[in-house]
Amino acid sequence: MKVMVCLKQVPHQDAKLDINSDGTWIQEDNIKFEINSYDTYALEEALRIKDADADTEVVVVSIGPDRVTQALRTALGMGADRAVHVNDAEAFGSDALCVAKVLAAVAKAESPDLIFTGLMTDDGNSSAVPPMLAELIDVPSATGVLHTEAANGSLKVERELEGGAIEVVELPKPCLASIQTGANQVRYASLKGIMQAKKKPIDVKTAADLGVSDVASKATIDKVYSPPKNATADILSGSTDEIVSGLMGKIKELGVL
Amino acid sequence: MIEWSEQHLMIRDAVRRFVEAEIVPNLEELEHGDMPPYDLLRKLFATFGMDEMARSRFEREIAREKAGEAKAPKTSSSEEEELVPRGRVGAKGDAAAMTMIPIIELCRYCPGMVTAMGVSMGLTGGAVMSKGTLAQKERWGLDLLTLDKIGAWAITEPGSGSDAFGGMKSSARRKEGGGYILNGNKTFITNGPHADTIIFICKLEEEGVPMRERKILNFVLDRGMKGLVQSKAMRKMGLHSSPTGELFLSDVEVETDRLLGESEEQPSRAGAKETFSTERSGVAAMALGIVERCLELSVKYAKERVQFERPIGEFQLVQLKLAKMEVARTNIQNLVFRHIELVDCGRRPTLAESSAMKLYSAQAAMEVALEAVQIYGGNGYMSEYQVEQLCRDAKVLQIYAGTDEIQVSSIARDLLAG
Ligand SMILES: Cc1cc2nc3c(=O)[nH]c(=O)nc-3n(C[C@H](O)[C@H](O)[C@H](O)COP(=O)(O)OP(=O)(O)OC[C@H]3O[C@@H](n4cnc5c(N)ncnc54)[C@H](O)[C@@H]3O)c2cc1C
Repeated sequence: MKVMVCLKQVPHQDAKLDINSDGTWIQEDNIKFEINSYDTYALEEALRIKDADADTEVVVVSIGPDRVTQALRTALGMGADRAVHVNDAEAFGSDALCVAKVLAAVAKAESPDLIFTGLMTDDGNSSAVPPMLAELIDVPSATGVLHTEAANGSLKVERELEGGAIEVVELPKPCLASIQTGANQVRYASLKGIMQAKKKPIDVKTAADLGVSDVASKATIDKVYSPPKNATADILSGSTDEIVSGLMGKIKELGVL
Repeated sequence: MIEWSEQHLMIRDAVRRFVEAEIVPNLEELEHGDMPPYDLLRKLFATFGMDEMARSRFEREIAREKAGEAKAPKTSSSEEEELVPRGRVGAKGDAAAMTMIPIIELCRYCPGMVTAMGVSMGLTGGAVMSKGTLAQKERWGLDLLTLDKIGAWAITEPGSGSDAFGGMKSSARRKEGGGYILNGNKTFITNGPHADTIIFICKLEEEGVPMRERKILNFVLDRGMKGLVQSKAMRKMGLHSSPTGELFLSDVEVETDRLLGESEEQPSRAGAKETFSTERSGVAAMALGIVERCLELSVKYAKERVQFERPIGEFQLVQLKLAKMEVARTNIQNLVFRHIELVDCGRRPTLAESSAMKLYSAQAAMEVALEAVQIYGGNGYMSEYQVEQLCRDAKVLQIYAGTDEIQVSSIARDLLAG
């Protein structure tokens, strides 16, 4: 079985983010990056299939500049078998559809039985790429997946619905699942795994190598800014009872409950 | 070697993530509660496959020994080693780095855990593997190297510390018909209260041979043997996560199979020097972890803490402290790099070299940690802030594995012998 895992390298959770000089994105120099947290769960889900069946090949795919090698090496250190790095200035940071187009081209070349992605990215937050990718390669998909069970011809998944309900869906293979955080406990790369990772192949490709063109974003970012801080705050004072009744009054007044 | 390689940094990041997720939340219990460090150390080993690596190394070594091959490492330059880019180290250096990096990372939060691990695996496991017979290695070695069993290595006594061999009173008396009867008290023994396997170092009682010239023997004892008492953990200044205790032996009877090497003709004093040398380089890695963390915390605090309407980092007296800390960090890191490179070339540092490395690193770590407390002011004196613990922990680096004064005399003896 072959499992393709799509992962994105995003700014580290603890990175201090500043907006760049033309106000269209964050300042990327001198900040630390890491694998998008959702994608680490997707990778873990794939590695568990490999743990259970050693014949499984796990291929990790990422679009991004040179720095992405580090994220791919980490994934290889955790146990993925090989990596495809689409290093193409146009495709990187493109809109969801173009990113999905590029990933679809990789998927066509790889013909995986399963594709796992994260539910969304910590930076872009769109959740749009996984279903678009599934559409482009014409395979069924499920989003917000908390549990997967790979059977012979299908993948059974548990999806998270609003209000904590769980939906169980069975998808015929090949198919795609976008994985929710907390789906599993993500492993650490072992020391041996990290040392072996440097010998595992990373295939570097451009969009043209994959036979796709017109991958630059159709949408342009006009402006990125931090919302201005709102200075209005009501401080309630008095005895505990007065504060509590004041707070109840406010809640009713605002109609927030 | 001028910097950590990409792989080294990956190892560092992975171990750091583990330490922050698994050890930091337990720090209070480890340092101020009753939680022994062993289960967390085992989890660290299992998570990163360090137990598996130790097992396969052990199996290779045993297989080699059974095949009757000499232990001499292969000197052939394999293809991989030839491809090592300039400024990088090869497989042997990587192996050394892989040992040092977890030590550094653990010491950023918990030098006690490194002490417990180092004594069990490095000193106790190392002694079995370097001095034991094949049967002894198989009996005790593997379990110590994987941390399945906890080891203690006992040389210090109430009356003999720096002069470990000279003042030693612990004794082994030959039994009629073979075997020995062991007696003596040991103190300051790391893992003593919990150890499953203990190396007891003592002198052979021989009529007419003066105490100072008696043979030094190493015995392996198991927890629960008749006549062996392991004390509770002693209260101490720092390193609370590493249990330290006393051992009392009264007429413990052993057969020759517990005498390391199964022969009285052991070059034990020379062997001890080798042990000291490895132990001392480990201390530099510990110092690096403490210094890195103290510096990081100090820089952060110097930027945040405002007095006289300015961050205290703007005062030159505070800047001087930070600059000195950075100098110490660079120096210790370079010593660690040099050690990795020496191992990579297959060269063992001389006793004087490793003593110099230990002396400098231990003193620098203590100075840096004290200055970190100073930068934190009253907060630095409070246990709520991490520098308080690191400062108490740093002091031990100047005492165990040979005091500063003993390092000085090793270095000077070497200089004057030339
Ligand atoms: C936390 C901790 C863990 C330890 N773990 C172990 C362990 O697992 N196993 C074990 O066997 N031991 C262990 N030790 C013991 C440790 O190795 C000794 O404490 C150390 O060797 C010093 O011996 P001492 O305490 O008897 O001091 P002493 O030797 O009495 O020294 C007292 C002072 O005199 C100085 N001094 C002594 N001789 C000279 C000299 N010739 N020239 C100049 N100055 C001198 C010393 O440097 C020191 O300043 C541990 C100690 C500590 C604190």
